Amino acid sequence: MSVLEHQYREAVAGITSPGSLDEKILQYARQFKPARSDNLWLSKAASSGAAVAIVVLLIHPAQYLGALTPSLHPADASRQRPLTNWQQEPTHPAPAVDPWFHLRSQVEAGSYVELCHVWRRQQRGSVSEKLPRDLESKARKHCRLLP
Amino acid sequence: MSPNDFQHLSDEALLDFYHATRNINAFRQLYQRHKDVLYRYCSQMNFAGASGVLQALWNNLLEQPPELSGRQLRSWLFIQVNRLLRNCASQDPDAQQQLADPENRVLAGIQRLSRIERNILLLYTDCQLPLATVADIEKISLKKCREYYRTGKEKLEEFLYGPQRQPWRIAEVEEVSV
Repeated sequence: MSVLEHQYREAVAGITSPGSLDEKILQYARQFKPARSDNLWLSKAASSGAAVAIVVLLIHPAQYLGALTPSLHPADASRQRPLTNWQQEPTHPAPAVDPWFHLRSQVEAGSYVELCHVWRRQQRGSVSEKLPRDLESKARKHCRLLP
Repeated sequence: MSPNDFQHLSDEALLDFYHATRNINAFRQLYQRHKDVLYRYCSQMNFAGASGVLQALWNNLLEQPPELSGRQLRSWLFIQVNRLLRNCASQDPDAQQQLADPENRVLAGIQRLSRIERNILLLYTDCQLPLATVADIEKISLKKCREYYRTGKEKLEEFLYGPQRQPWRIAEVEEVSV
């Protein structure tokens, strides 16, 4: 760089574009809004559609009913005779209260007093309900028959 | 997308990206790269009209993408700004040329040059355009452009450092030999 160029660079070092001009130009530039990208919306729509399709495929009951394997489960035969594979739905027994719960829990805790008492009364024939088989066997084992 | 993301892009790529997306940060980066050199050049060619010319230049660039036709954006900017400066000068030929720094002797010396010498000197020295492009801008031959550059530089050096020393005997010898 020659002396002249060096002097010139020093002279113009302070000359910069004024801030007001920059602001005017950038303000004008801001008026041009970013172009709307249709591809972006298309890709958004496509990905949401794909997500919905996957969810539908996963939760659709047809695949669990074997609807996609007609050779294994011929649909025609079941249509002709609908009662062929019919089974009555098993009725679930209503939960009942165990009448021997209290006594059984006492036996499991190691107290045979009550069991033996009931057992003796049963032997005497004064009890209408018989002990269940497991309690009866335990009573035979642990209780003495008093005269 | 931050302005730093555009730093690796060339001017031309940045311009294409801006016109495809209208991303303000892309334009800001482009503007930052050229604003000072353009202002320096314009203010020395026409101080009063510099702001108006630059505003028109950038507004044109914003409104429609320039057809570079294989040229660099930098060259295109100076070609356009030169055209605008000529129009501006023809509208107001009597306007007094002012200086950004009137006390600076280098800047004052540049203002003493003719318009074409000043234009060539600034475009080549400060704006760093190839002399061939400068010749195209001035619509003169490369040889003539080089001549203008040389004379302009000599005039400026003479203004700053005084006239060059001449060998005192040459004139006498020449006279004698004739």
